[in-house]
Amino acid sequence: MIWEVFRQEESGDYHTHCGNVHAPDRDMALAFAQIQHARRMPANSLWVVPKDEIGEVDADEAAFGGTTDKAYRWAQTFNTDEDFAEEIAESQREQEAAERKREDRA
Amino acid sequence: MSDASNGPSLGGPDDLSERERAAVSALVRAMADDEFVLAERYTEWQVRSPTLESDLALSNVAQDEYGHARLWYDLLGDFGESEADLIWEADPSDFRHATLVELPFPDGDWADAVLRSYLFDVYEKLNLEALEDSSYPRIRDRVGKVQSEEEYHREHAENWLERLCADEEGRGHVQQAVDRLFPYALTLFVPTDRESAIVEFGIRTEPLDSLREDWFAEVIPFLESLGIDLPVTDEGVVEAELPEKIGRRGDHTDHWPELFAAFTHTYREMDLDEPPRLMEDPDDVG
Amino acid sequence: MNVSETKDRAGPRAFGPGDDVPREYREAATRMIQFHANSEIMGAYLERPFIRQAPSLDRKLAFSAKVQDEIGHGQLLYRAAEELGIKTREEMLTELAEGEGKFLNCFHYPMDSWYETPMIGFFVDGAAMRRQATLKNTSWEPYAHAMDKICFEEGFHIKHGESILRELATGSTAQREKLQEAFDEWWPRILQFFGPTDDQSTHHDFAAEVGLKQVSNDELRTAFLNAYLPKAERYGLEIPDEPRITYDEDADRYEVRESDLDWDEFWQVAKNDYQGSHEQIGTRADAREAVEWVRAAIEGDGPGSSPTEAAGAAD
Repeated sequence: MIWEVFRQEESGDYHTHCGNVHAPDRDMALAFAQIQHARRMPANSLWVVPKDEIGEVDADEAAFGGTTDKAYRWAQTFNTDEDFAEEIAESQREQEAAERKREDRA
Repeated sequence: MSDASNGPSLGGPDDLSERERAAVSALVRAMADDEFVLAERYTEWQVRSPTLESDLALSNVAQDEYGHARLWYDLLGDFGESEADLIWEADPSDFRHATLVELPFPDGDWADAVLRSYLFDVYEKLNLEALEDSSYPRIRDRVGKVQSEEEYHREHAENWLERLCADEEGRGHVQQAVDRLFPYALTLFVPTDRESAIVEFGIRTEPLDSLREDWFAEVIPFLESLGIDLPVTDEGVVEAELPEKIGRRGDHTDHWPELFAAFTHTYREMDLDEPPRLMEDPDDVG
Repeated sequence: MNVSETKDRAGPRAFGPGDDVPREYREAATRMIQFHANSEIMGAYLERPFIRQAPSLDRKLAFSAKVQDEIGHGQLLYRAAEELGIKTREEMLTELAEGEGKFLNCFHYPMDSWYETPMIGFFVDGAAMRRQATLKNTSWEPYAHAMDKICFEEGFHIKHGESILRELATGSTAQREKLQEAFDEWWPRILQFFGPTDDQSTHHDFAAEVGLKQVSNDELRTAFLNAYLPKAERYGLEIPDEPRITYDEDADRYEVRESDLDWDEFWQVAKNDYQGSHEQIGTRADAREAVEWVRAAIEGDGPGSSPTEAAGAAD
């Protein structure tokens, strides 16, 4: 069986896909993953998931985020001020960055 | 996006003859109202769906449908009709949505939600395909955006129906919903009084009768494959009859006045001159 | 790990599902996160009628998206709480339906008119957002992760709330009067969002010691008042005379005369014993019951449920 491996570099990070191992069961997969994916690169945690259990949808099949105007859910659409509270300003900055990324891809 | 239409293009909003304009208006009004009222009913499921995840998914469908309504109402704006004229200050009998979409959901009837979505979404798919080559460019240009979102809606509904029908009790609920909704779904195919002009001018490249046959050819086998009984003879003759109230001529069920009063309540209470706008005009968005 | 080790190691995102944190930590974190998740659901439930009532297409979209976000936040938070191994999401949702689950005071009160929406949408959400920003540094990593996404999404909620507030505050005399009435009614509840700070509860101390809570309620209230009092005034809202609020410039904090607030009502609300509590919880419970059949129908084996689930259950 093929097991996809996900590693978390430091406590608090998200696990990221880093490759796979062949193994007959989960315990063996975990053992192999430790050698193959965390021998030299420090890791805080590894996950293994059977490849067959992974479902995928990609941008060819799905129009992620929709294709009609979604401005109503972005902070930057609303012309009230955000600087009076730092957490709102930060949220808007993050949303503006996300919007720019979407536009770059389009 | 589609290729240029096979027949002569109709030009822009100001180039249309009286008859052409009336035909476009009738078609687009029905589409816009369908989307708006459908979305309005969908939002009833927010915070009331079976699971948190399904709540999120149906909310997304609802917002997409409002977005589509917005695009179509905007085309009527080309003819001088504002959102206030069309919705908030309209007379309830001005609305031309099919009565399928105004029906309330019986309490907890998720089967209705997903079935209604499925029946409508297949109609929508066929309708949009027949608009891809519309002679009216303003419609042609917007079809693609709407289509890709509708695909998700249909797949979402199909997945749910498959899952529900895999369970005996679930299938029972779906069957009940089919029994109730199937006649109402037929109202989607009742023509407005401008149908012959719509077809003559190529605004829609297929007549409604033909769309209805295609719709039968898709929904009947699908639902039957899930173990659902439909009012269809062995020879494939559909025996369901239209309900009393259709919608396409402004004739609505008893449920409509209440729904209309509810969604216009705040607008009237605040005595607004116009509905507050947040987003850009669709023509100004990329 | 024992409790004292936990306190030593406590810091932002210090503990995750792989860590052997003591039961006391797990229970405290579950309590806190469950309260937060419940509040998202009940806040969404309070606001949902305003999707229908929104007076324009654009406002409808915004309201629908906001309510949707809140359900999404609930989903993230229940998952973060589940990871602690004390309760499952299903158990927490059942507790909420049965009146055992606690949630924010503000969501126990009815909201009947559009004029009240900025009270929740601007002031309460503003307070919540301030608190959430501090929780990005909470010690339970899944909770902090959830905060990343929640803080990313929430900016539009408050701005949407402010845009409605502005519309009403710059409207007709009648509108401004109704807005003021709504503000008068909600202001004490908004202040009680932070709880009684004169008297620190034992839960708080432990939560702070193990890094779950990063900022005291008193500090949060001061930060909120610093940002939102001037806003209220800018929109022409009169701050009610009670509770008496004075600004201590040297200490840079607001002194709120807590005895001016109705704490009997607050504790009633906190126990889900208030009139509004019963209505909110009860009607939502009915709605949840009505779709129980769907959960039962999709529970069984089918495409997508896998043999590894069975293997996992054996762990």
